[in-house]
Amino acid sequence: MIVAKQKPIAEIKEMLRPYQKVLILGCGTCVKTCFAGGEDEAATLGAALRLAFGQESKSIETEELTVERQCEDAFIQEAAQAVARNEAVLSLACGAGVQAMARRFAKSVLLPGVNTTFIGVLEKPGLFTEECSGCGDCDLDTFGGICPVTRCSKRLMNGPCGGSKNGKCEVSPDIDCAWQLIIDRLTALGLQGNLKRYIPAKDWRPSLAGGPRRLLREDHVI
Amino acid sequence: MTGTEGCDRYMSSKFEPKIHVFFCVNALDRGVFSTQDPEKAARIQSVKMPCSSMIKDIFMLKAFECGADGVMVVGCPAGRCKRVDGNIRAAKRVAWVQKLLDEIGLGGKRLVYTASSDTDAAITLLLKGLAELGPNPVKPAAQASPR
Repeated sequence: MIVAKQKPIAEIKEMLRPYQKVLILGCGTCVKTCFAGGEDEAATLGAALRLAFGQESKSIETEELTVERQCEDAFIQEAAQAVARNEAVLSLACGAGVQAMARRFAKSVLLPGVNTTFIGVLEKPGLFTEECSGCGDCDLDTFGGICPVTRCSKRLMNGPCGGSKNGKCEVSPDIDCAWQLIIDRLTALGLQGNLKRYIPAKDWRPSLAGGPRRLLREDHVI
Repeated sequence: MTGTEGCDRYMSSKFEPKIHVFFCVNALDRGVFSTQDPEKAARIQSVKMPCSSMIKDIFMLKAFECGADGVMVVGCPAGRCKRVDGNIRAAKRVAWVQKLLDEIGLGGKRLVYTASSDTDAAITLLLKGLAELGPNPVKPAAQASPR
């Protein structure tokens, strides 16, 4: 899923300062799961902003609403009336959701309430870790299901750097050495042969380096 | 132990804070947070919960929006939560909102979590914090409702 983190209150306050009536629009999918922008977070942020502005004697009216997904037009249409009632929309969705909203509501001010950070997994309750960079050319079969592009701090494609210690990356003792994980897993699977493969320099064109990407499924287009 | 014995010294001062208490029904004797003093009772609003872990960020913030000067969450003593770790979750949630209150300038000391065994000390701590911070600077919104 996409992992995001709510922006600092001070930054959000400055964005909202010119407006009196604001819709805080949550998203019920990824950002809800990572506690950045679901129903609870939208309600909490609304109260926090009212309290923050209240200390400055600036009145702000907030309306909170959460749709299932802000990255799909079918869902964001449910917010149309609420958008029309307010001067600006503070979207708690990822960057894709904010832009989908901006595309749908061309005459409304759309503001981002979260910083979109990475594609990750829920490693344990409350801990989300980055697992995928969306490089557009997945090689996880070679690496035993562990991505060196994302999980190796140096993005090395041909083995460890030599700087790891006790299975931890020299960049931070909190980071597992991806190559230690890869070697351990391939060994456990009896696939050590994969380690003999030479991986040529990565072609980054399928990634964002080749410009914004599109995915077209012709069989679904009418 | 009803949880209000520690109020006397601080609540007799000029600033008489309004306190909202969210408490676990299993945490206090007879499942009641009460006081015999009618004046004190008027300043304490208590909300009973089946477990302290039912507290949400929005409930605590809403209490401040409704004019509370301070908020206290009361859970079961360590190791005695009927829901195993409800009191731990509540304490962590309170700590999170304390940081949020600091961030928005209201002051994290307006909010405390306490185990029911330490209610007296927690109220003393809360009232000390409120003496430093003064009244809630945010006027209750007309539409704000504690319910």
